[in-house]
Amino acid sequence: MTNRKAISRLSFLLFVVSIFSFQASSFAQKYLGSRLEILSTTELNADVQSPIDLLHETWVRSDLDVPNLGNSSNWVWARLDLDPVIDAGLSVEIAYATIDSLQVFMVCDGIVKSKSSAGATIPRSLREQQLGNYPSFPIPVEDCMKLTCYIRAWSGKQILLPVRVEGSRKLLTDGHYRDVFFAIYFGVVISLLIYNLFLYFSVKDNNYLQYVLFIIAVGGTQLVLNGYDRVFELISSPWLALRITHIFGILSGVFSILFVRNFLHLKSKAPLYHKIFGWLYIPYVFASILLVLGYFNASYDMINVSALSIVLLVPVSIKVWRSGDESAAYFLVGWLVFITAVTVFVLKDFGLIPYNEATLYALPIGSAIELVVLSLALGSRINQLKKDRQKAKEKELNTSLLNEKIQREQNVELEKNVTERTSELTEMNDSLAETLEDLKSAQQQLIQSEKLASLGQLTAGIAHELNNPINFVTSSTQSLKRDFSDLKEVIQSVAGLQPMSDKLSDELEVVIQRMKELDIAFTLKEIDELLAGVEDGAERTAEIVSGLRIFSRMDGNQSSDANINELLTSTLIILRSNLKDEADVLTEFSENLPNINCQPGKLNQVFMNIITNAAQATMETQLIRSEREVKVRTRLVNDAGKQFIQVDITDNGVGMSEQKKSQIFNPFFTTKGVGQGTGLGLSIVKGILDDHDATIEITSEIGQGTTFLLSFPL
Amino acid sequence: MINVLYIDDEEHNLTSFRAAFRRTFQVFVTTEPSEAVRILEENPIEVVISDQKMPTLSGVEFFELIMPEHPNPVRMLLTGHADIDAVIDAINKGQIYKYISKPWNEAELKRLVEEASELYQFRTAQDTQASDYSKRLYSAQEKLESLISEIKSSTDITNDNKESYIETINGAISLLQVPT
Repeated sequence: MTNRKAISRLSFLLFVVSIFSFQASSFAQKYLGSRLEILSTTELNADVQSPIDLLHETWVRSDLDVPNLGNSSNWVWARLDLDPVIDAGLSVEIAYATIDSLQVFMVCDGIVKSKSSAGATIPRSLREQQLGNYPSFPIPVEDCMKLTCYIRAWSGKQILLPVRVEGSRKLLTDGHYRDVFFAIYFGVVISLLIYNLFLYFSVKDNNYLQYVLFIIAVGGTQLVLNGYDRVFELISSPWLALRITHIFGILSGVFSILFVRNFLHLKSKAPLYHKIFGWLYIPYVFASILLVLGYFNASYDMINVSALSIVLLVPVSIKVWRSGDESAAYFLVGWLVFITAVTVFVLKDFGLIPYNEATLYALPIGSAIELVVLSLALGSRINQLKKDRQKAKEKELNTSLLNEKIQREQNVELEKNVTERTSELTEMNDSLAETLEDLKSAQQQLIQSEKLASLGQLTAGIAHELNNPINFVTSSTQSLKRDFSDLKEVIQSVAGLQPMSDKLSDELEVVIQRMKELDIAFTLKEIDELLAGVEDGAERTAEIVSGLRIFSRMDGNQSSDANINELLTSTLIILRSNLKDEADVLTEFSENLPNINCQPGKLNQVFMNIITNAAQATMETQLIRSEREVKVRTRLVNDAGKQFIQVDITDNGVGMSEQKKSQIFNPFFTTKGVGQGTGLGLSIVKGILDDHDATIEITSEIGQGTTFLLSFPL
Repeated sequence: MINVLYIDDEEHNLTSFRAAFRRTFQVFVTTEPSEAVRILEENPIEVVISDQKMPTLSGVEFFELIMPEHPNPVRMLLTGHADIDAVIDAINKGQIYKYISKPWNEAELKRLVEEASELYQFRTAQDTQASDYSKRLYSAQEKLESLISEIKSSTDITNDNKESYIETINGAISLLQVPT
């Protein structure tokens, strides 16, 4: 802040000091406006080519040191009385470079002694030799009473007549000073131009290019305003020469608008001003059209009026500055300097402030300062950009930190959600586990009921199987008692015989008679038979009990080594009475079957189930009892280096369809009537076999029978 | 002595049955149904006892087999375990008189056989009596018919009286005839 204030104050101070220092300097100019007479009526003399015709017109003396003839399309006449003695050999200088057509007549006692031309429209060959950048005309050395200089001028622009009469040396010296001044000025302009062009190529920021264009326009304006275009004969075309001042004026306006709009980012920071500055192109377009059509003065007026709009730059710069763009401050200072310079320049034209070198050079000085300050503004823009970038980076960093924070918070939230969901899932899992437990227990109950059904069948079978031996053992013991009592009677009779008795033969006869009565021979045979029955009964009972003991393990899940043949045998004992009226059971057991580790009770359940089913399958055929059979075979099989015990149970029953075959292991599948089976038998069988890593294969043909092939790996 | 036939697939049962009752009854035993049928044909069997559970045919089936030819012998079923459905069925169809469960009680079995024998005797007696009655009815009928022919050939009786007598005798014959 203080920096910028200091700069603005310093520059203003420099400017003011420069004005008055010029005023006080040695080459302060002396303009002869007070000696000039202007022809006020301008309508008559449009075609007047010679001052002789105008001698008697009404000439009016000018009030100002530098008469301002305004911006008119008419020819203007002015005259200056010279002293034929004092002024002889000196030159009349018209220190104004933009008069397009200028003719100077030297009239000695009513006779035109010389006629010289100058201006943009006059070819160089016809022009008077210029001493410096302003046209000057030598005063002839004539012996005359009255020597008058008539000036005829026309311009597409405003005409001022700063007229001096000086010696060539003085004019040359002043010209040198001006040249130096402008050399410095153009030096500044060109260096700024190159500098910014370089920046443009390195930064690729369009602002620099626009600024370069602006510099060219401003520099060009100063070049043509001060007549250096003609000094260096830069423009050969008269058409262009007439218009070049206007063109640079228009370009200055257009490029400044372009530059301002982009540099201050009006579009985003001050949209209203953006629009207004957009409209400002329009008068320049009109000015261009007027210029092309040849309305030079109208075009010039329009350019000047449009240029007034630069005052708008003050509020807009402040506005943008306030919005935080520090480069706008430099911008404001730059333009303030320029506006001040223009103001000074214009005030001088109207005689409100002195017309001297200081006021004359206010414009180039002001524009130079402006260009420098605007360059600073652009430099500040770079800093601003840097700062912005830094800010953006910080912002980015902040954003990323914020994002990180948010993410962390989200993570916490997420974790919370996950935890909640997990606990929900755990709950669900628990309830599922509970359901599974329920299902398991239901399954257990079903299995239990199946087991009870098996046990019921079993106990009935066993009861019957035990009934027969118990029946004939108990019955036989009674008969044996009687038989033995008969024998006892006979033995006692024999024992009562007296060997030495005379009646021995008679008594013996009685005993023999009694023995015949009692049919002792038959009794002895019967005793053998009965004893054989008792023995057999006892054996069978023991066998059944042993079978029962094996079956009593049906509930147990303990594994032990067991022989498949023994298991099958015990199963067949238990089933014998059940199967008696159903089918013959033929066994073919491999003798050297190794023991396998298994759950014997479970395997008994398997065998009982399959054998019972097999016998029942034979019952459904038309076969008579003696033709119905179930074959049970065991054997040891080697298959690809692996040993198996195979049990095949084959019946000649009704057989099964493929569909039935595929369903028999399904739980609750049954072919029996309601209440006659749970349908779980074979499903349990499958489960038990799976537990033993055993496989079960079924081959069946309807009407032929079924084979269950069980393979137990060793 | 009561003639008893006992059929069972279990040889030892037969032996012990015969040993138990050979002193009180005339016992016939066999394991074969065909043999049993032969025994029935050759001997006046009064009581038939059959085991229910046999390999070739059941006791009830055996009874069904012999009933048409030998309806009189009293049938008793011996069952190992209470095959109650078969028993109920058999009783309802009139195929058995009693059923006995194994192991049998000798005294009870003896009593049952004796009771069955009494029933047989009663049935047979009834049959005898019935045939006696029908024989006597038949002879009375014959006598009455011969009496009609005598009356017809007789000259002592008037034709009017003849008709009256014959009508009376025919009425008596029709009364004697067993309603079918």
